Amino acid sequence: MTNKLEVRNLSKRFTISGGPFRKARAMHAVNDVSFDLVSGRVVGVVGESGCGKSTLARLILRLIEPSNGSVKLDGSDLRAKTPAQMRALRADMQMVFQDPYSAIDPRYTIARAVMEPFEVQGRKPTGTEEEEVDKLLNMVGLNPGLASSFPHQLSGGQKQRVGIARALALRPSLLVLDEPTASLDVSVQAQIISLLEQLRDDLGLTYLFISHDLSLVRYFCDEIMVMYLGRVVEALPDTNAAARHPYTATLMDSTFAPDPKLRRIIAPLEGEVPSPFDLPPGCAFAERCPRAAAICRNETPILSTQDSHPVACHHPL
Amino acid sequence: MTSISSAVLGLRKTAVSRAFGSWLGRIAGGFLILLVLTAIFAPWIIPFDYAKQDLMNGNAPPGWPHLLGTDQFGRDVLSRVIYGARTSLSVSATAISISVSVGMALGAAAGYFGGFFERAVMTVVDLTWSFPDILIALIFVAIIGPGLTSTTFAIAIAYLAQFTRLTRAQIVRLKGETFIEATINLGAKPSHILLKHLLPNAIAPVIVVGMLAIGDGIVLEATLGFFGLGAQPPTPSWGAMMSSGTAQLFLSPWVIIFPGVAVAVTVIAVNLFGDELIRALDIRDRIKGA
Repeated sequence: MTNKLEVRNLSKRFTISGGPFRKARAMHAVNDVSFDLVSGRVVGVVGESGCGKSTLARLILRLIEPSNGSVKLDGSDLRAKTPAQMRALRADMQMVFQDPYSAIDPRYTIARAVMEPFEVQGRKPTGTEEEEVDKLLNMVGLNPGLASSFPHQLSGGQKQRVGIARALALRPSLLVLDEPTASLDVSVQAQIISLLEQLRDDLGLTYLFISHDLSLVRYFCDEIMVMYLGRVVEALPDTNAAARHPYTATLMDSTFAPDPKLRRIIAPLEGEVPSPFDLPPGCAFAERCPRAAAICRNETPILSTQDSHPVACHHPL
Repeated sequence: MTSISSAVLGLRKTAVSRAFGSWLGRIAGGFLILLVLTAIFAPWIIPFDYAKQDLMNGNAPPGWPHLLGTDQFGRDVLSRVIYGARTSLSVSATAISISVSVGMALGAAAGYFGGFFERAVMTVVDLTWSFPDILIALIFVAIIGPGLTSTTFAIAIAYLAQFTRLTRAQIVRLKGETFIEATINLGAKPSHILLKHLLPNAIAPVIVVGMLAIGDGIVLEATLGFFGLGAQPPTPSWGAMMSSGTAQLFLSPWVIIFPGVAVAVTVIAVNLFGDELIRALDIRDRIKGA
């Protein structure tokens, strides 16, 4: 049980500088996020759009600099690395992006795109380039005949497979999946998910899986973190755990079951997500929470760390 | 460097052949090819020595043997117009090449690195853009003195702003694309991102606008030549020829008409062909976005 990833108090504040006619404002995109990712496990991050999931992914990969906190990969602190060390280290931590349509340079052939990781890292594949291209395309279930095609000749699902092949070319141990299926058809989604499952088993990968689709996360992941406005509000230790946070409960309640016998009235959340600028004190969910009390509006609940099922709520279910 | 040249080659293979697809593109493109060939082979084509004076035969109207007549010194106007194409095209093309290269380097660096460097570059560039091209060129020639070299640099500086702005706009747009972030995440150096992804994707509109600017450069060169600031006698240039023709505008209008027609037809052909290229590459929006 070694930790692939240790994230501590990770925060990102975006500031909009003030001028003569407006005051400076700060936005907490990610606020004090801590968790461990055990090697070989799949941790899911769920939350509404704008809750900071994608920012969290980029902070972990140090594609953007955090305002606070630390990220350790295999025990070594990423923030202490020089740019050159960081570039070399990227071979071990890769990402699959949400939008496969713009994830490949339109001027690159598929073969060139999947060989670019070797070029960038100054490495040579074990066999010839052609063998490596064939191997990578086979690995993600693509016909090697597509090697000389351009991205615009491929479907969304095929492009996402190319994106996965590019990410896996250097045999990383950690893969961050930022909504890899969000812009794909449902049938294609299922293919990509089963491909990712198979690759994890074959290559022994560790996944951080980011999605807004709770049912997909419950199917695919070992553990689930629920985010709301930049904070982790609940960490479910396994996918069958019952929700303790009212927000998680509402999320779980909002998923549709494909069975007419289970048809029921879904109580949608009332109100809007508050603006992430200048958050009021207290729990960010208080305005929409059916269980909110006076303390919720004054004191920010802290995610307990000792608990086996941590929740950041004054009145958990 | 290979990817930049392959990008340009790719442009030639597909877009130029498509630009030649319409009859307008064919006429304009054909004329330009003919003009370039004429300029290159001018010394072998011209019927008379462009500098040879024949004062007894000055201001002769078009006819035989001087098809387009002679000027006040009896020099053959046809030979001088043909030779003038050399001056006009080479000065304009050289100036625009310098302008495109420097503008792309500045614009790409400004767009990529951002921050104070970007603001400094763009402030200077916008400042030069707020003056008319001719004014900037005139100031520059006034500082370093007349001649072909200074005309070339003056034109290069006058059009620098346009290419810097256009390149910067392309780079800023491309920087937000996922494939750039994905390539950074592979561990790519900034030089790899710039040379292998950003510039090859930004180059097509800049090249096309550069091609259009060659037409403007010809006009600017002619204007500077008209003021006597460009090619010095006896080297013929279209602008200088028109300037010397003004004295006998009513006595021998052919001296001023033929170089004028040469400028007009060339610029029209450049613009028509440039428009066809923009259509063929489908980049009208990207050019307007600058």
